[in-house]
Amino acid sequence: MLTARDVTIRFGGVVAVNKMEIDVRPGEIVGLIGPNGAGKTTFVNAISGTYIPAEGSIRWHDEEIVGRSPSYLARIGVGRTFQNVASLNDLTVLDIVKVGRSVRKPSGGLRQFFFGNRRQDNDLTDKFLEPLGLADHRDSPLQVLSYGHRKAVDIARALAGEPDLLLLDEPVAGVAPAEAFALAGFVKRIRDQLGCAVVMVEHKMDVVMSTCDRIVVMAAGAKIFEGSGAGVQSDPEVRRVYLGDA
Amino acid sequence: MTLRQILILLAVAACILLLLPGLGRYSAYIVYVVAIASIGALALNLLIGYCGQISFAHGGLLGVGAYAAGNFGNAGQDMVVALAGAGFVTALISVMIGLPALRLRGLYFAIATLAAQFILEYLFRLLEPLTHGVSGLLIEPAPFLGFGVSTDRGYAAVSIILLVLSLIGVSRLLRTDLGRRFILIRDSEMVARGMGINVARTKFWAFAISGFLAGIAGGLLAFTTRIAAPEAFEIALSVDYVAMIIVGGLGSLPGAVIGAFFVVLLPEVVQRLGEYFNAATQTSAIREMIFGLLIILFMIYEPRGLNSLASRLWRRWRGAGTKPAKTPSGAMDLRPSSEPAE
Repeated sequence: MLTARDVTIRFGGVVAVNKMEIDVRPGEIVGLIGPNGAGKTTFVNAISGTYIPAEGSIRWHDEEIVGRSPSYLARIGVGRTFQNVASLNDLTVLDIVKVGRSVRKPSGGLRQFFFGNRRQDNDLTDKFLEPLGLADHRDSPLQVLSYGHRKAVDIARALAGEPDLLLLDEPVAGVAPAEAFALAGFVKRIRDQLGCAVVMVEHKMDVVMSTCDRIVVMAAGAKIFEGSGAGVQSDPEVRRVYLGDA
Repeated sequence: MTLRQILILLAVAACILLLLPGLGRYSAYIVYVVAIASIGALALNLLIGYCGQISFAHGGLLGVGAYAAGNFGNAGQDMVVALAGAGFVTALISVMIGLPALRLRGLYFAIATLAAQFILEYLFRLLEPLTHGVSGLLIEPAPFLGFGVSTDRGYAAVSIILLVLSLIGVSRLLRTDLGRRFILIRDSEMVARGMGINVARTKFWAFAISGFLAGIAGGLLAFTTRIAAPEAFEIALSVDYVAMIIVGGLGSLPGAVIGAFFVVLLPEVVQRLGEYFNAATQTSAIREMIFGLLIILFMIYEPRGLNSLASRLWRRWRGAGTKPAKTPSGAMDLRPSSEPAE
C-alpha cells in the first residue's frame, strides 16, 4: 500500500536520500535502520509530507503523495511521531492527544464550544493513554513529564488519529530499557488492534529485532539490505557499514 | 475556564452591574473604558498570546470597527446589529492583514502588520464618504436592543455584559480543537505542521475571531466617544494594546483585563500627579516613558505578566508551600524563531 521508488532528497549539494525505495504492506511492522546520517529521518519526513523529494515517487493506495501537505496526509491516514519531542507549554497530555485525534477524525467545533466532550475525553484516555501508562498524567502539562513519558505522549497523539500507516521516528531513543520494551510491545498490540502498518526508525537493535516483521537497512541515503532480523546480522554489507572494514 | 470560574466571573459582573446606579459619572466612565479596552486586549491576546502572531495593526483594526459600527449606527441600526456588523467587517480586514502570516513568521510578520497599520491610518483619512476624513465621523447614539443606553452608566452596563460574553466565549474557544491548535502553533509552528495541522486554516480563524472581537471593541469605542477620528487609531494605540497584554500576561484571560486596567488607569494617575506637581504639559511624555520602562521590566522579570505575579502572590499568601512550576519557557519568545532544522 505504501510504495516509494527512486526517492531522492537534496539539501543544497548534499544528497541526503539517494534513490531510496521501500514497500510497506498493510499490518506490517517494518524496521528502518542504519548508521547516523544515513537519511532515515529525512526519508520518513518525505513520506509524511514535511520534505518534498527532488525526484522519485511515493504512492499510498495508488495515490501519488509527493508534494502533498502533512495535514492532507494526516487526514488520509499517514500518522507520525517525532524523534525530538517538542516542549510544549500550556497544553496537557489529553489536549495533545485530542489534537492528534482531530487531524484525522475532527469532532464538531460548535458542540465542543458549547458542551465540551467529556465522553470523548474518557474514550481517548482509556484507549490511548491507559495502555501507555499515561492515564494518571492526562491533565499534566507536557513539560513536567519525564522524557520517556513525553515520547509516549507523542505516540499516543499519533495513534489517536487511528492512522493506517504509522511512522515512528526513534520511538525508544533515550528511553529506559524496561519502558522501551513496554513501548515496543504496545506498538505491536496497536498494530493488531488497528491493523495499521508501521515503519519504525530505531537504533536499538534488540527492540527492532523483537518488534519488526521485516528490516530495511539504509546507508548513505540508499537501501543496502532488506530482509529478516537474522539476515541483517549475517549480511556482510550491513556488517561493513556498521562495524567498518575488518 | 471551569464552571466555577465562570460563576465567579458572572457574580463579579453582576455586582458591578448592581453597583452601577450608585456610581458617579466618572466611575462609570472608568468602568466602560476599562471594559472596552479589556475586550480589545482579549482580542489581541488571542492572536499574540495564544496563537503567537505578533500584530501591531490592532489600533487600526479597532478603528475599522469604530467606523463600521458608526456607519451602521448612523444608518439607524440597533447597537447590537451595528456591533455585530462591525465585528464581521473587522474580521474580514483582520484576515487580510493576516495573509502575510502564511509566509512570514515572528518579527517579520510583525513588520508586515506595521505596514498594514499605516495603510489603515491612511485609508481612514482618505475614504471620506465612510470616514469623513480628518474631521472624523460623528456618531449618533443608538439603542441597545431597543433600550436607550446613551449615558455613562448605560455604556458601562453594555460594555460589562459584552466583556463577560467575550471572556466566556474565548475561554470556551480555547477548549476546542481550534483553540488547542492555536496554542500548538504558538509553541511551534513546525511541530504543529508535522502533526498534520493545517496551519494556514488555523491562522485564518485566529485572525478572523480576533478581528471580530476587535471590531466589537472598536464599535463600543465609537458609540461611547460619539466620534471616530483617524488620530484616535494610530500606531500609539496598537502599542498601548501590545503593552496591555504584555503587562497583563501573554496567553492569559485575566491578564487581558488586568493589563487593560493598568494601561487605562496609568494615564489617569499620571495626569493627577502632573496636576499635583503643576507639570500637566509634560505628562504625556512621562506616560510614554513609563510604558516603555514597564514593558522592558516585565519582559525581564515577569514575562507572564501581572496575572502570573498575582497568582504567585496568592499562592504564597495561602501558604500552599508548593513552589509553582518555574516556567521561564512559558513566556512567549518574541525573538525570531530558532527552531532546529530537523
